[in-house]
Amino acid sequence: MTDLGAAFRDRGHNKDNATASLVSTALIEATGLLRRPQRLVPLIQKLASDKIRLTFEPRHLYSYTKAKRPSEEILNSLLRWIIAAQRSDGGIAAYYSLLTGYSESYPEVTGYIVPTLYDFARITGDSSAIVAAERATRWLLGLQMPSGAFSGGLHGSDAQPSVFNTGQILQGLVRVYAETNRSDILQGAAAAGDWLVRIQQPDGSWSGAGAYQNTAHTYYSMVAWALADLSECSGSRPLSLEYAVAAEKNLDWVLGQFRPSGWIEGINLQGHPNYLHFIAYVLQGVLECGILRGRPDAIDAVAKSSWVLLRKFETTKFLPGAYERDFKGGCNFTCLTGNAQMSCVWLRLFEMTDDLRYLNAALKMNEMLKRLIPFRGRPGIAGGVSGSFPAWGRYQPLRYISWGCKFFADALILEQGLKRSFRATADTPAVKALPCAS
Amino acid sequence: MRIVILSSSVYSETACAMAVRLAESGHVPVGALALRALDSTTLLRKVGQWGARGVAHYARAKLIPHHADGPPQVKNPHLRPLLENGRGVLLSLRAVTELYCFPVASCADQNGSDSIALLKEWSPDVIIFTGGNILRKPLLDVPRLGVLNVHLGLLPEIRGMSSPEWSLLKNVPVGITIHYMAVGIDTGPILQRYEFPEARQCESLDDLRNRLIAFGIDKTAEVVAALDHGALSAIPRSDLDCDNQFFVMHEWLRERAAERLAKSRTATIAGAVHG
Repeated sequence: MTDLGAAFRDRGHNKDNATASLVSTALIEATGLLRRPQRLVPLIQKLASDKIRLTFEPRHLYSYTKAKRPSEEILNSLLRWIIAAQRSDGGIAAYYSLLTGYSESYPEVTGYIVPTLYDFARITGDSSAIVAAERATRWLLGLQMPSGAFSGGLHGSDAQPSVFNTGQILQGLVRVYAETNRSDILQGAAAAGDWLVRIQQPDGSWSGAGAYQNTAHTYYSMVAWALADLSECSGSRPLSLEYAVAAEKNLDWVLGQFRPSGWIEGINLQGHPNYLHFIAYVLQGVLECGILRGRPDAIDAVAKSSWVLLRKFETTKFLPGAYERDFKGGCNFTCLTGNAQMSCVWLRLFEMTDDLRYLNAALKMNEMLKRLIPFRGRPGIAGGVSGSFPAWGRYQPLRYISWGCKFFADALILEQGLKRSFRATADTPAVKALPCAS
Repeated sequence: MRIVILSSSVYSETACAMAVRLAESGHVPVGALALRALDSTTLLRKVGQWGARGVAHYARAKLIPHHADGPPQVKNPHLRPLLENGRGVLLSLRAVTELYCFPVASCADQNGSDSIALLKEWSPDVIIFTGGNILRKPLLDVPRLGVLNVHLGLLPEIRGMSSPEWSLLKNVPVGITIHYMAVGIDTGPILQRYEFPEARQCESLDDLRNRLIAFGIDKTAEVVAALDHGALSAIPRSDLDCDNQFFVMHEWLRERAAERLAKSRTATIAGAVHG
């Protein structure tokens, strides 16, 4: 989610403005609690449970947390959360705040939740997910600008076209077209793709008016992924090649920002730390675009960065929610969405490389995340993924966020598929070891 | 040869068996340093790891061994020849020291200054690590030759945790490596590597691990004897920039490793029947 939630949106271009925005948001959210004092009980419950868990959670080399509830049950509760967050207009709320309740519908998230809804329906046969996807698509098509772009921010808050949000919604439209073969959907997707190609910079980045804070960001690799996807599904259409070229141009620009340490420059969110969520976005976008375009250099670059994070997670049982350059620094909260995205990246890397250590790390990450999903509580809480753990962490504090549910559901769906197709035990060729003593 | 044993607890069967095996081969340790069984940090960590009930169960089993039905037993059946004899069952390092007369000390942190001072006082040629903290450089520098570790996998192929399980899944021969410890995990110079021929006969992963521990203790005694005679030197590592580190294996993958073990056992039995 580019804008860090509309309420947390940093409209200014410097740190002072961001701080002022944070303070005003905090005040607005606090008044939400005054209006609905009954929200105090779940708020206190959440704070207390996170504090207890922080004290007792095992975090040492020889163990990992183990969830009692099966993945299928958790996946179902995540999807129930998403469907409950669908507003009357068809859009999906950005978050449920423990202080103010559900937010307005959020076009960007609504767009890229659509593929998750279809994936869930495919593996469970649950038609309510398809109904939700169709409602979401109708709403999204109604928001498309004549230029083909989509606006940023929460519904009704911003009339400016946004590159990132257009790319994320494009992902959803491409999937709807693949599922339904409807020409109006392809038309909408192509219009969005054409706009993205039109405003791309010669170096392959997107900056200027359509870019957040008017600057180029490496996490717009997610947009490149959407364009590569559009190129695949639009097949023999004349513009198909142009989408692919634009995707690879961006891929090349982003790959140029990878450092030897695995760190990626150019996340460029002024006034915000480098949250894991955005680092994982870069990796997901580059990896998926690299896979679609047959680029082993992209897969290698992602593998290198992902290995740094995998080692951190395996040795400390914790991924800090934000980083400084070269993955230095650390903070005492974790960004659950970023964790779920890393699980997706590791699972996809396992698919691509057969390195079981990626699968191992992802399974453990999913266990940890499963334990943090509340299975009781009012709508908006039960089955939700909080922004940070503990809930007072800096990333989306005191909120259950829809894109967190989306990425964790994606991770569990991937996990289930890979477990089913696991062949390593039978097919791994024997390794010849060095000579041993007798 | 002056030998000190480092242990995760005075109740560690591996440490007890190691001490007995060394003493029987003429190398009575000059001391043993064990982590305290009960300190607040460990307790809190264990409550998180096992739950309050699990910790209570563990404490009862360790502190009140006679509470269980029947006489106390060594859990690893492959260590019984060393720890169960006519003079009783050796369930703690203190019982072993009564037999072989060497001091046992306990500490909260093996890297702590008190521990280092005590180890220096014992002036060991070799320290044998059977469990405890991740060792820091000041401790690693204490012994004249180095700190020995038995790694339950072949180095450099399988470095890190869950080594027998990873060996099975990666189709690397199961074995052990005796090496000097360095600051990085399993990165020190290698003394000896041994393939484990009985791996195909193991009934379960726990059985495999238990047999490997017993095998490792036996081979450590041989390595110590060779070091004592100056007949063995360490091989420096050239693999340290490779990504060959493995981490604790998730239960689901562990089940797959167990399936693989069962499959190789079945194949061995079938081979024996037909061959």
